[in-house]
Amino acid sequence: MTIAGFIVKNALRNKRRALLCILSVAVSLFLLVSLLVALREITLPPEDVGAAARIIVRNKVSLASPLPARQRAVLERIPGVEAVTPFTFYGGKFRDEDFPKFAQFAVDPKEFMRIVVEAKMQVDQLDAFLKDQRACIVGKITADKYGLKIGDRLNFIGTLWPCDLELKMVGTYQGTIDDRNLFFNHKYFDEAMGNLGQVGTWWVKARSIDDMPDVLDRINRAFANTSAEVRAETERAFQMSMVSMWGNIKILVRSICSVVVFTLLLVSASTMSMAIRERFRELAVLKAIGFQRREIFGFILAESFGLAAVGALLGIGGAWAFFTHISISKLTDGIFVAFEVTPQIMGVAGTVAAALGIVSALAPAIAMARMSVVDGLKTLD
Amino acid sequence: MPVENIVSIRQLTKLYRQGEIDVTALNGISLDIPRGEFLALMGPSGSGKSTLLHIIAGVDRPTEGECRVQGQDVAQLSESQLADWRNQNVGFVFQSFNLIPVLTAFENVELPLLLTRLNRRERRTQALTALDLVGLADRAHHTPRQLSGGQEQRVAIARALVTDPTLIVADEPTGNLDSNSAAEVLGILQALSRTAAKTVIMVTHDPKAAAFASRVIHLEKGELLPTEERRP
Repeated sequence: MTIAGFIVKNALRNKRRALLCILSVAVSLFLLVSLLVALREITLPPEDVGAAARIIVRNKVSLASPLPARQRAVLERIPGVEAVTPFTFYGGKFRDEDFPKFAQFAVDPKEFMRIVVEAKMQVDQLDAFLKDQRACIVGKITADKYGLKIGDRLNFIGTLWPCDLELKMVGTYQGTIDDRNLFFNHKYFDEAMGNLGQVGTWWVKARSIDDMPDVLDRINRAFANTSAEVRAETERAFQMSMVSMWGNIKILVRSICSVVVFTLLLVSASTMSMAIRERFRELAVLKAIGFQRREIFGFILAESFGLAAVGALLGIGGAWAFFTHISISKLTDGIFVAFEVTPQIMGVAGTVAAALGIVSALAPAIAMARMSVVDGLKTLD
Repeated sequence: MPVENIVSIRQLTKLYRQGEIDVTALNGISLDIPRGEFLALMGPSGSGKSTLLHIIAGVDRPTEGECRVQGQDVAQLSESQLADWRNQNVGFVFQSFNLIPVLTAFENVELPLLLTRLNRRERRTQALTALDLVGLADRAHHTPRQLSGGQEQRVAIARALVTDPTLIVADEPTGNLDSNSAAEVLGILQALSRTAAKTVIMVTHDPKAAAFASRVIHLEKGELLPTEERRP
């Protein structure tokens, strides 16, 4: 027998309790990892190859306020600007759905393809998108989800804008950070809306990354003191401002995480206290026959840490295996595209498990280490 | 040839504080216990016999006086030194056996050896020898639950013996045993004192158990009564 073997035998002396303890840690850590992954997914600003040179121009008052279409000519003349497209969120209900489940944007197809260079699609489909004013392209995830194919007529009922649209699917794209969206021609949108001369935002591509600061400054100054002042920012900054809108959700998810960890701590501490209390006599005997305080302290901590470690392995490993091998997009009806259990998240969950194993056993371990042999032996007879 | 005293106690006093009151558990006891003696400590509950046993075994400290075991003033050792000292010099036998239920008889006996520098093979040899001495080598891989009370206590004696201590302390070792098992256990303790020169100190209420001892001393209200000596 070894000391490690002795600790393992003690940890598993009540197999049902050990199993329940491991499972409670495993399930809680699975939940914790899921929450952390979801939090990351909803708050992480996307970064893709084209984002570095992209600028989003929106109304300075708010994202919900439209911009005049006439600004385009001004934007195109600004030095350092390579391409400009209107980018208007349509937000229509598809088929019989209760609410829009994927985003539709009205764009200038030709300029859009110059700006979102990472979108990959077949040449003939791109041609069709450029030529047909009622054409639309659909992200591969959405096309797969709804079983859409080229030539399909897609009908949308406007929820934000008072117009319904009938679009013709001419192609699919993939390779962007979010292959769920649908893009169609802004001219068709303008026509359907009665040529209001409004756009949601402008997406601008700078000639080079080095030009970005100057271009941003020029755009902001170009519309200063006009009836539609703008706020130009990099795509990353724009995404970060979108992320900040999740503020309350973040607090909510973090609160749930804290509750999970705290509950787990209570469960583990209670289990360890029970396990130690019922072995009070044995531990006193161990001390009597020569085991040191620090050794008894170490046994209890190692036992607790071991149970937490096995639970962590199951919980974190299970979460990793689950989110790696299942389609989260299908599971969440497209709300989430991918759940990535990053090393950082696994590290956080592992640290929580380690801390849990130590903290939950700390009180009984200290009490037992401090107990005098006589006090322990007095409980014997 | 002068008698070698393994335990030498002088003016030993132990006070316990219960709330605001000091309770005298031992009151100025002086006692010598020679090597190889089987000493029975008798007395009514609260007479201080277990306290005396605990101080001799190094699990409690006196309030006043001196307790030397093999020349070592036990009270002068630190907690950590005491733990090592107990491992090397004292074997414990308890009334309720106190074997670790998840370990086999062999592993229970091997347990104190985990604190020594012996390697796995040496530990195995020593543990099996101790089990053989108490007649339980064939039960080495049985767990305490698979053993009778008498067998459990014999395993506990093997555990007490395995580090080859000078002193074996037994607190009511037959308290939970039937008469046959008790006789077996007492016979082993007696043999250890007579043939292996182990000094055995046993606390008991049972005169039949005390009859196995070479000397019986009685305590009452923390003081020694006149000694009754049986045989050398």
